[in-house]
Amino acid sequence: MSEPTRLTQLIPTGYGNEDPAIAYAFRYVEEAKPPVSRSGQRFTVCHRDELKPGERRIVDDGKQGIGVFNVEGKFYAIKNVCPHAGAELCRGTIHATHKPSDVGEFAPAYHGRILRCPWHGWEFDVVSGKGLYDRNGRVATYVVEIDEAGNVVVVT
Amino acid sequence: MPDFPIIDMDIHPRESRLFPLEPHIPEYAREALNQRLGGAPQNGYGNPTGSADRRDAVCVDPKQTAIDHLDRYNIAYAVIQPPGMTVALTNQIDVGNALAIAWNDWQIEHWLNADARYLGSICVNMRDPKAAVEEIKRCAKHPQMKQLCISGESDDLYGHRRYYPIYEAAAEHKLAITIHPGREGSLNSVTPIGRVSNYFEWHTLIPLTYQAHLVSLVAEGVFEKFPSLKFILCEGGIAWLCHTMWRMEKNFKGLRSTVPWLKRLPSEYIFDHIRLTTQPLEEPQKSEHLLQIFDMVKAEKTVCFATDFPHWDFDDPDRVFPKSMSDHLLRRIMYENSAETFGLPTLEETIRRKASVGATHASPAMAG
Repeated sequence: MSEPTRLTQLIPTGYGNEDPAIAYAFRYVEEAKPPVSRSGQRFTVCHRDELKPGERRIVDDGKQGIGVFNVEGKFYAIKNVCPHAGAELCRGTIHATHKPSDVGEFAPAYHGRILRCPWHGWEFDVVSGKGLYDRNGRVATYVVEIDEAGNVVVVT
Repeated sequence: MPDFPIIDMDIHPRESRLFPLEPHIPEYAREALNQRLGGAPQNGYGNPTGSADRRDAVCVDPKQTAIDHLDRYNIAYAVIQPPGMTVALTNQIDVGNALAIAWNDWQIEHWLNADARYLGSICVNMRDPKAAVEEIKRCAKHPQMKQLCISGESDDLYGHRRYYPIYEAAAEHKLAITIHPGREGSLNSVTPIGRVSNYFEWHTLIPLTYQAHLVSLVAEGVFEKFPSLKFILCEGGIAWLCHTMWRMEKNFKGLRSTVPWLKRLPSEYIFDHIRLTTQPLEEPQKSEHLLQIFDMVKAEKTVCFATDFPHWDFDDPDRVFPKSMSDHLLRRIMYENSAETFGLPTLEETIRRKASVGATHASPAMAG
């Protein structure tokens, strides 16, 4: 009678090649693919001198609105709706965050560009629109142009 | 009623005149015990019948238990959770270390070597990681030693980094770690607020300890640090996991930046690293509620059957599950989840081997 086959080690955790959700989210942030205009609608926000670094405006797009942020001199626009429970996302506060790190270490990053929803504090990167809390969460991002007069214009 | 061999994740042999612990206590510690250095705090709660055992069952003789329990219920493997699980509570740390050695040797000589169906738990003194690691290395050599057994009562939550060397050794030797109720309420109250008055309140509230250890293990990053480690939460109930997991996951979505070492969602860590034993199984008025709970905790992956023989809150393998439970789930819970956790032969292999060996499964020692 032969020895039964024995599993020689504990069943592996099942992670295999699977991408951990949060590591994936932060790679998305790092990649920061630029937004793409789909409908070509234009919404003028204000003159660029009126929207200083660290400030934001919410522009009326006829729907829930679009938040426009000045992050260190560059302009970014995201939809003003939190995918969690529908809060006005762009009324939240801007922070830094911690990137995924080893146990017991802190890796602060993305100062000035992480928006926390005003309700439950879920984090979104204003630049890429990515939610930092799971694999799929994100908000729509929009192209921002400066026109000849120096106005900030969202192009959806 | 399962028509296949099952695995029992929790049995409780105890010492007796038949197989006392004393001869296994290392020589150097015997006088210390005479000088009353083996004491540990108690919690002051006791079963009203005078013992935690059933009135009609006892577990002191491996050969008798093999007949009364293993043969009776077609048990392929039974995991011993020994009294030595509370050695860490011993006031004198070095005596605690000696007691760990004693309980491990007692298990090996009288139970593991008596029948290959008994699987053992390495008792370790969580207060002395260095000694615990040595004891793990010593006992892991025995092929029937499959896990550590540690008590729910503890100096610190089990996510604390002071325990890392122990977890590292367990992971290295491919041992799971079982947390089992053990004298909750002796060092600290069993509740975060105040002391309970009686055994009824105490026994009901043991899961508080488990919730605390579970959140600690996940949130502190133990499973990032030790990706192959598995914890088995034994005798702590199952349904609370739904709430704790959902609350942890919801909070994580907003509070992730405060635990940035977590690269997965809390539920992912739980489904991969945490196992729960069934006993004492919840008995809701509507049995379909229990099946809904099993669905919520992914019981086909996470739940492992246990009897707690011979204790008073014993679950009978033939009666404990609702008749409406699927055969697939029965097999996963009563054999396969446990086998996969410990790297045991598959159910098919065990059935084949039983068929070829015959009615009685005897160890080589008994057959020789």
